[in-house]
Amino acid sequence: MTAVAAPPQRARRRFTGSVGLLALPIAAWLVFFFIVPFGLILWYSFGEKPSLYVTHSNDVLSLARYVEALDPAFLTTFWRTTQIAIVGTALCLLIGFPIAYWMAVKLSPRARGIVLALVLVPYWTNFLVRTIGWQITLSPEGFLSDFLNAVGVLNGPLQVLYTQQAVQLGVVYNYLPLMILPLYVALERMDHRLLEASRDLGGNWWSSFWRVTIPLALPGIMSGLLLVFVPLMGDYITPSVLGGASGSMVGQMVAGQFQRAQNWALGSAMAICLMLAILLVVILFGVLFKLIGVALARFRHLGDLNRTGAIS
Amino acid sequence: MTTHLVDEARAGEVTLRGVSRVYGKNYAVRDLDLHVEAGEFISLLGPSGCGKTTTLRMIGGFEYPDSGSISIAAKPVEALPPYKRPVNTVFQAYALFPHLSVAQNVAYGLRYQKTPKNEVRERVSEALQMVRMDSFAERMPAQLSGGQQQRIALARALVNRPAVLLLDEPMSALDRKLREEMQIELKLLQQQLGTTFVFVTHDQEEAMTMSDRIAVMNSGRLEQIGPPDAVYDAPSSAYVAGFIGQQNFFTGALAGGPGAWSVTIPGGTVVSTREPAGSPVVGAATEVAVRPEHVTISAIPLGGPNEIRSTLMSVSQLGSALQIVTITPDGLKIMARTPRGVDLPSTPGVDVYCSWPADAVHIFPTTPATESE
Repeated sequence: MTAVAAPPQRARRRFTGSVGLLALPIAAWLVFFFIVPFGLILWYSFGEKPSLYVTHSNDVLSLARYVEALDPAFLTTFWRTTQIAIVGTALCLLIGFPIAYWMAVKLSPRARGIVLALVLVPYWTNFLVRTIGWQITLSPEGFLSDFLNAVGVLNGPLQVLYTQQAVQLGVVYNYLPLMILPLYVALERMDHRLLEASRDLGGNWWSSFWRVTIPLALPGIMSGLLLVFVPLMGDYITPSVLGGASGSMVGQMVAGQFQRAQNWALGSAMAICLMLAILLVVILFGVLFKLIGVALARFRHLGDLNRTGAIS
Repeated sequence: MTTHLVDEARAGEVTLRGVSRVYGKNYAVRDLDLHVEAGEFISLLGPSGCGKTTTLRMIGGFEYPDSGSISIAAKPVEALPPYKRPVNTVFQAYALFPHLSVAQNVAYGLRYQKTPKNEVRERVSEALQMVRMDSFAERMPAQLSGGQQQRIALARALVNRPAVLLLDEPMSALDRKLREEMQIELKLLQQQLGTTFVFVTHDQEEAMTMSDRIAVMNSGRLEQIGPPDAVYDAPSSAYVAGFIGQQNFFTGALAGGPGAWSVTIPGGTVVSTREPAGSPVVGAATEVAVRPEHVTISAIPLGGPNEIRSTLMSVSQLGSALQIVTITPDGLKIMARTPRGVDLPSTPGVDVYCSWPADAVHIFPTTPATESE
């Protein structure tokens, strides 16, 4: 018996070993492109810029760069960035959900592929190029301005470029696919007969939507919100191209310290602050969704029923 | 368990009048008249694409007829959405809500009836007891087997005390043994509740087992409706004869005359038959149907009517019965079924005699004139 059982066991051990090896590239990728750079940034943030021609030094360790980073100018920009990110993420959800719903529920499977391509192709286009596309579109002497003047909506050149609104528009455009895709996946996976079942049991369209579609799409909504919010907070291409001075975001300030001011220590401290803030917001998101889940259970007014006589 | 909805005697009645549903150029259902009595268990039986599911979906409100009227409890409903009809459905793949527990699934519909909390709890546990799933209340649907999910789907529909329960091939995903158990259980449940059941199936045995009446459908039309034994013993068309149970089919020309009708089948054999319906025409192409259980096999000629000498091909065990296949010198295959224990020749290749009584023979015109009927 044991003699028979031994070989497969050994084989399995060898198998797990080779599975571990398969994880090596991704582990190496994480170490070299995430953990090491992150550790360096964290390390630099405790140092200083010793002289005009040196970017950083860790001879003296202190939290002084953090104090320096959190000055009113940074906080103002940071607050504006958070506003743009929250409004942008919310707009992406509001615009993305109906599109994803339409794609997953209303479209024929054949048409879905085409519409999916229409969502993805702009997304695959270089980020900078499509942002510059908006710069051309929104410029005071651009075709949109001419067109709006021609049809009489506008009198005089379009004054949107280099404002916070232009940045807002740009980020919604740039990050919308990241919202649509997870929502589409979640809604597409949903069995559409569940909506028939809900209607059969007495629910109209609207109540079936809230009691079936939204709860089943919730994982998609959550990943969509995170996929849009996190990179949006750190975006610096969109505000650089469309924002000008008035629409700047915190990513630009970090980049400014590294590139123009050559103060890596201060730039690192700002970057760490930004990352911590994003982490905090992500945690808040998580808590919020837990609360929404609890509220939804209440809303279904069956919380008590779930607890009656239950052991499992 | 009488329901508050059944205060009028007609609460479980369903009537379809001249109902048609067209997809593109094809009729899924064509000019269908169907009346279901309150408390009846009726099966819509037919192959896929015969319109049975479309009919059920029109009663449920998931599809609307292009013409005709549907009434439930003597009230027209053809324009109402599903949530305004006194019916509930057990869906083919059950369609349980994956994000809700078993108890929440069952309670789903009660919320819309504004049922007080205490009563919801009571009725949910009552419904779960009814399908013997009360110990599974806290499970999630994904943790249940197919048979268990089906019971939950049944409880979720019945807890609302519908006047009519619609069942869309609810057993097609179950294995045979479980299906047979569920058939008996479902029939008992229906008798106990007195709710009208409209059951869609392509399985004639299933329909025979449970139904008070069977409605056989073919290409969107109602082919025959009646109690299982009537449909089985007196099929109104070759289609019904072939769909319900097994048949030996022969084609030939009608011969003879009043009192002594027969059909001459290829090879010259004359099959005497019961009196044909309608106005028979001598020489008309006719389809002859004989059920295998009416065919007697013997080693020596018995001298009765409809005796054909043929060669034994195979004998197979069906459990409770034996199935015998023979072939005539003219190449016609004849299938017979006899109880076990009957002394029979069993070596393939030996000559045997097949015979059947004239009144076991059904004949139908070869091209059924369904268009004009």
